[in-house]
Amino acid sequence: MNSAAPATTENPTAPSLRNRLISFIAIGEVGVIAALLLLVAFFYFMQPAFLSERNIRAILNVVSFVGIIAIGQTILLVAGEFDLSVGSVAGVSAVIAAQLMTALAWPVPLAILGGMGVGAFIGLVNGIIVVKFRIPAFIQTLGMLFIGQGLIQLVTGGYPVYPLPKEVSDFGMSTFAFGLGWSFAFFIVAAIVADFVLRRTVLGRNLYATGGNPEVARLVGINTTIYKIGAFITVGALSAVAGMFVMADLQSGTTSIGSGWELIVIAGVVVGGVSLFGGAGTIAGGVVGILMLKVVQSGLVVIGVNSNWQQIAVGVIMVLAVGLDILRRRYFTVGAGAKTAAAKKAGTQAGKISGA
Amino acid sequence: MDPIFSARGIVKAFAGVQALRGVDFNVLPGEIHALLGQNGAGKSTLVKILNGVHPAGSYSGEITLAGAGVSFASPAAARAAGVGYVPQEIEVLEQLSVAENVFAGHTGLGEGVLIYRHKLEDRTRAILDDLGLTIDPKAIVASLTSAQRHLVMIARALALRPRVLMLDEPTASLSGTEVEALLEVLRRLKRQGVTMIYITHRLPEVLEVCDRATVLRDGRVAAELGREEFEEERFIFAMSGQRLQKLFPTHEAPVGARPMLEVEHLNVAGKPGAIYGARDVSFSVASGEIVGLAGLLGSGRSEILHGIFGRVAAEGTVKVDGQPVAIRSPRDARDAGIALLTEDRKRDGLLFNLPVGANITIGNLDPLSARGMVRGDRERSAILEAMRQLNVKASSPQASVAHLSGGNQQKLLFARVLMRAPKVLLLDEPTKGVDAATRQEIYRLVVELADKGVALVVVSSELEEVLGLCDRCLTIADGRIVDAFKRGEGGEDRVLRAVAAAQAETVRAAS
Repeated sequence: MNSAAPATTENPTAPSLRNRLISFIAIGEVGVIAALLLLVAFFYFMQPAFLSERNIRAILNVVSFVGIIAIGQTILLVAGEFDLSVGSVAGVSAVIAAQLMTALAWPVPLAILGGMGVGAFIGLVNGIIVVKFRIPAFIQTLGMLFIGQGLIQLVTGGYPVYPLPKEVSDFGMSTFAFGLGWSFAFFIVAAIVADFVLRRTVLGRNLYATGGNPEVARLVGINTTIYKIGAFITVGALSAVAGMFVMADLQSGTTSIGSGWELIVIAGVVVGGVSLFGGAGTIAGGVVGILMLKVVQSGLVVIGVNSNWQQIAVGVIMVLAVGLDILRRRYFTVGAGAKTAAAKKAGTQAGKISGA
Repeated sequence: MDPIFSARGIVKAFAGVQALRGVDFNVLPGEIHALLGQNGAGKSTLVKILNGVHPAGSYSGEITLAGAGVSFASPAAARAAGVGYVPQEIEVLEQLSVAENVFAGHTGLGEGVLIYRHKLEDRTRAILDDLGLTIDPKAIVASLTSAQRHLVMIARALALRPRVLMLDEPTASLSGTEVEALLEVLRRLKRQGVTMIYITHRLPEVLEVCDRATVLRDGRVAAELGREEFEEERFIFAMSGQRLQKLFPTHEAPVGARPMLEVEHLNVAGKPGAIYGARDVSFSVASGEIVGLAGLLGSGRSEILHGIFGRVAAEGTVKVDGQPVAIRSPRDARDAGIALLTEDRKRDGLLFNLPVGANITIGNLDPLSARGMVRGDRERSAILEAMRQLNVKASSPQASVAHLSGGNQQKLLFARVLMRAPKVLLLDEPTKGVDAATRQEIYRLVVELADKGVALVVVSSELEEVLGLCDRCLTIADGRIVDAFKRGEGGEDRVLRAVAAAQAETVRAAS
């Protein structure tokens, strides 16, 4: 019927090597994984101590804290919203949990649940205000960032909550394997579960639809309100978990927990190919992206670069990664309507969702 | 006469796909030249080469304008050289005035960096006068109808005094009388000596205003016809390479007696602005019946469908298969067995972030999953089956929907809504922007569904479609049903008369 669809004659079960190669490169995570490996090789070449057991352990432990939040942020970005208050929420949840177990002498497990409840509740508030009252997420969550900072000071009076019950300190010091803390175990399990949910479940698919075009999602019968609010709650709860892991690690409810995390989390997942415009990206991508930023930060320290350069490096990498990603998409979506905004988003997900 | 604008031996390929295979295209001074072809024939590629979107160097062949060879590096270069282009989609700055829109981005407005509002308005008024229009240059564009916005875009292109004006499907979103008004504008411009290229799917308009026509098929020129050779059959043959059978298929099975959809006293609030909602609309559709809603753009046709489907808030009763159903959201409608195919594929239909397959199954995953997990094998076979049944041509279920032609995108959306085997199917402009062959497939599909007992409601701006396809036609004006008649009891004139009478009544009531 038209000349533009010669591919219909192709046997889909036997793609040529070239096609296979192209579709491999077209997968979003490949670029960022390659970049990560290159960076690791570079730092190792400059300073073999970079790949020392101690340094690897240090990087992975640090990554696990922000990584836990990055999982939630990726889910929320896929659903078409984002949250700038994650750092504050981590801090508030941690200091409230710390106060519950010290000042109010709640049993530790209950206080931890309380902290998670705080995070989830703040997520719920963010979600309701953004979705129901149509306040842009940027405004609402930026506001919540400040509110959270204020709450931290109110709850602690400006002083770290210290000392914490012995169980908490013991837990923070203990490791589950290879000298890695429990936060790393939680991070890996949560990432695998979240990746599975996004790739393989109805819930995941509906999240992509919600982020891709909320009106279309509504018209096919998806309750986009619930999905978005649910994603906000997930981010809130995961932020709380990350905050409390740091608290256990520091053995103190410090007021600086989570401070400045929001930007590193967003930068990391965006480096990993998660779209700020919703509907595109994977957990694997987001997690590798944030790992890459941490590798750079650590690598620069190890090879002896002035620490002020870290910030500059993070900024450059983020722009570079997103820029390369846009170029790649443009290259792989030449042809019909490649100029339209729709098509810019279009190239992003074809091939990533494996369920179809 | 030498052509004022011509292209010779244009060859263009995208990632291995040959879009144009040596196209010659000649436009004579002062004529309206139609450029025709099905989706995928290479029409839009040629247009993009001629207006600089595909820059010189990305194709081979020569372009001459007024006798001199030209090569456009960008749309701006093409504009500066005198090639005006009016895109199909409305691209206006809604919050600015008509005059500001007409001169947006133009340089040479006079004194330095300052813009003098009255000068802008005077010059805009002069252009609008040339077009025979009475739009106020000071009006904010957001307050205009989409037809008027289109005219503002034409004025914008004319403000640069182009040698050639390209109009890309200017009537795609206009209703009957609006089309007439636009064609009148074109005739007027032609009398003023403006050369135009008219890109369209619609043959009647070509027959009405164009002087010559070039038909593309498979990236080649299939025919170049002068006015004396204009004949509908000839165009269809050139576009499709075959003679089409009778345009509208007929029902096999008789219309059932049982009402499948009953709508009583449906009221839908109008959007703020000129558009009417639905006012006290009552009708019923029997199983196996196709009911058409005819009327002008903005008459409330789509609002009736949206009200039934729960897309917008509505009052009134809806019964499906005799059972009253409370519909507060599209989800309720879906669960009641109603499906809606929206008018605007790009805005309200396709999910550009998901591949072809997931676009078909979205919203329909429950039977394809177990305990919340999508069963890949089941989903894949359901997708392939749906693609085969509806003849969706895509390289694979993983292909991007952005690469599909308009016709294939539309069939994909049909596949999505049919996956739930709806009892009631609401179709809003089901053949808008699709090629002639897909149009036929869609007509056949609609009739097939009716034969299977589905109740169908079809909204269309093309009267021919409503009258040819539907068993019953309801004429809508100002949000009300103003006339209803069965197939064969009236033609296009009856619909137009009913609309005109309703409008006259509204004017009388208002004064």
